[in-house]
Amino acid sequence: MKQKGQKSQTIGLVLSTVPRYSETFFRNKIKGLQNHGFKVILFVDYYKKEDSSFSCKIVSASNYNNSRFINFWNSFVALSKSVFVHPKRSLKLFQLNKKDHISFKDNLKQIIINEFFLSEQVDWLHFGFGMLAVNRENVAAAIKAKMAVSFRGFDLYLSPLKHKNCYNILFKKDIRYHVLSQEMKHDLMKYKVQENQIKVITPAINTEFFQTEKSPHKSKHLQLVTVARQHWKKGFIYTLEALACLKQNDIDFHYTIIGGGIEQERITFAAYQLGILENITFTGKLPQEEVKATLLQSSIFVQYSIQEGFCNAVLEAQALGLLCVVSNAEGLAENVLNGITGWVVPKREPIQLAQKIMEILNLPEEQKQEIRNVAIERVKKEFNLEKQQEKFVRFYQN
Amino acid sequence: MSHKLKIAIYSGVIPSSTFIERLITGLSISNQCEIYLFGAEKQMLRYDKNVKVVGYRNSKFSKFIQLIKYSFLMFFFNRKDKKKLDVILKSKGRNTRLDKVKFYPVLWHKPDIFHLQWAKGIEDWIWLKEFGVKVVLSLRGTQINHSPIADAELAAMYRREFPKVDGFHAVSKAIANEAAKYGVTPAKTKVVYSGLQLEPSLEMEKNKNGVFQIISIGRPHWIKGYTYALDGCKQLKDNGFKFQYTIIGAAGNIELAYQIEDLGLQNEVILMEKQPFNTVKENIQSSDLLVLPSLKEGIANVVLEAMLLKTFVLTTDCGGMTEVINDNVNGFVVPIRNSEAIAQKILEISTLSIEQKDELVNNAIQTVRNQHNEKQLITGMLNFYKDL
Repeated sequence: MKQKGQKSQTIGLVLSTVPRYSETFFRNKIKGLQNHGFKVILFVDYYKKEDSSFSCKIVSASNYNNSRFINFWNSFVALSKSVFVHPKRSLKLFQLNKKDHISFKDNLKQIIINEFFLSEQVDWLHFGFGMLAVNRENVAAAIKAKMAVSFRGFDLYLSPLKHKNCYNILFKKDIRYHVLSQEMKHDLMKYKVQENQIKVITPAINTEFFQTEKSPHKSKHLQLVTVARQHWKKGFIYTLEALACLKQNDIDFHYTIIGGGIEQERITFAAYQLGILENITFTGKLPQEEVKATLLQSSIFVQYSIQEGFCNAVLEAQALGLLCVVSNAEGLAENVLNGITGWVVPKREPIQLAQKIMEILNLPEEQKQEIRNVAIERVKKEFNLEKQQEKFVRFYQN
Repeated sequence: MSHKLKIAIYSGVIPSSTFIERLITGLSISNQCEIYLFGAEKQMLRYDKNVKVVGYRNSKFSKFIQLIKYSFLMFFFNRKDKKKLDVILKSKGRNTRLDKVKFYPVLWHKPDIFHLQWAKGIEDWIWLKEFGVKVVLSLRGTQINHSPIADAELAAMYRREFPKVDGFHAVSKAIANEAAKYGVTPAKTKVVYSGLQLEPSLEMEKNKNGVFQIISIGRPHWIKGYTYALDGCKQLKDNGFKFQYTIIGAAGNIELAYQIEDLGLQNEVILMEKQPFNTVKENIQSSDLLVLPSLKEGIANVVLEAMLLKTFVLTTDCGGMTEVINDNVNGFVVPIRNSEAIAQKILEISTLSIEQKDELVNNAIQTVRNQHNEKQLITGMLNFYKDL
């Protein structure tokens, strides 16, 4: 909570859109900061009318995806505001960009698209994803705010493959970074970012909601579950290959995939070719209550991702007493401690995954219960929202 | 037949893909039929005199002119049919202006046969039968092989509409079997393999600097199975095998780019942009092996091209490919979804003797010349149309 005599800081949080109801991370973060006496302003690229009831002030960019005429008009208005309403800040931004060898044309473009930042007073400008800070590397300095950037996985590992050298300017700045795991911290340091610039704050879950009095699901019929959007990085194809291996070993199982996504056809076809389509249920995206109910009907949670920042779903599954098997993709090996709170299998090795599941099935019940208990306790203690909020408060205060 | 058959070959766009264009050219040169091409004209091409293009450009103005022209013609010279079609379209909720731009020209020209190239469009065109037009469908690609497996509504539509179709052209026996799930009967189906003619350029050096050159060609769609090929590459590298793997047409794909980084294959694998045909040809010719790691495929033309260009082919048993490639006779076959088998087979191929290589290459050329020449394609398709 806010301490006596301490001036409340204003955090400008930059996102693409106002966080939807299901995007609990940012909603919790904003709520937590407000509870600790911070003022939060949300800067978004896209704004909808229904966002007006959101719990903090929202400042949105002009929309440049319109017809040429409207884009020209919006650009003209933004440029005029830059010159006449906040000329000092615009000039500063222009000079800093020039120092970074940004061409005159691109510099002008940046002043237009970033004009909406320039009228606000904030102590911190915190970009919610790495890619949101690209072409905005000097905005915080121009408005005399400190700058922070969160990397969440996709933006650190995959975006640079599509946009080569996209963080070249960003990584030269003396700013603060937030990442989800120690692994991400090490990977960020490979870009010559200093260790003291990076703070690891893991995701957290609502441990009060994700808890149960029920004893774990112990049906003879093996119930496996994954909660993830259907995207290649979630490693569903390798998972299905492992499950096909289980079937070849006469292990009767059912696998539930909770989550929507663009790869339904690919995953369904793989299941069909591997002869396990009848063993799988695709529920699509479910509300949180139904996710919880489905998890409680399952015994093993599988998250065999190819790329993963940290993964809240695995925390939720552990909190509900599911036995978790995950890959060693980035933060997952910190999320689940191998042999202590679950099991970690090298990624892209479906046979090893199948063997591990068979191994777990043959473990004595006491050993499984021990793993469940340690996992539940660890999640409650280490990954609760209060702890995460305190870490964010320290992130801005130190 | 006393008059030339009027055949509409419809893929929705003009020009269409290479193999459909080959069919159009071959049929028009045979001088036994008139070809009509309907749809959106992406590029103005010169066709033979037997080909009539009734297309529209992708602009509001061009579509408007097309609509006015054919509405006028139909209203004044064939009002009865127009009225009948309007009723059908209304009952299907397909009577927008864009629908009419698509449908009126076809009804006005009323071909004897409407040959649809893609199965998903069958529901849009089956009404032609009400006007005495025979509707035939080519069974090819993803629209038969995997889309209806994940999409129950599409599968139901196929089962509903396919029995109404007059004839099916299957690009392979395997795809004809696959389509049987949706009511395609052998009696209505004719397998006609694609055909091509291709001469190798001058002899090109293979196995440069002792590095085994592997190539794949095609869009980076998951059905192409490149992830398995890359996992196979990792095993090759772990075996100390010196190779370079190039995928033409896959540049910019993040999944593959990440896999390459993840597996430490940056020095061995190159993702290239799509290349013009002649460059592709040269790349195939200078490679030791073309790999087709597909999960499902009809008959990939690129394999036929590689066989004519004297480059070995390693394919998965992904459907129609085993009708072309006989393992260790004219190429190599491994099971689908098996990276270990891909790696193992590549290691075996790299140790073949010169005599074995020559024999395989000659067998491959003979297979394509006998089974996939342009003449059998055109004769096969003409007979198919005439027998309807």
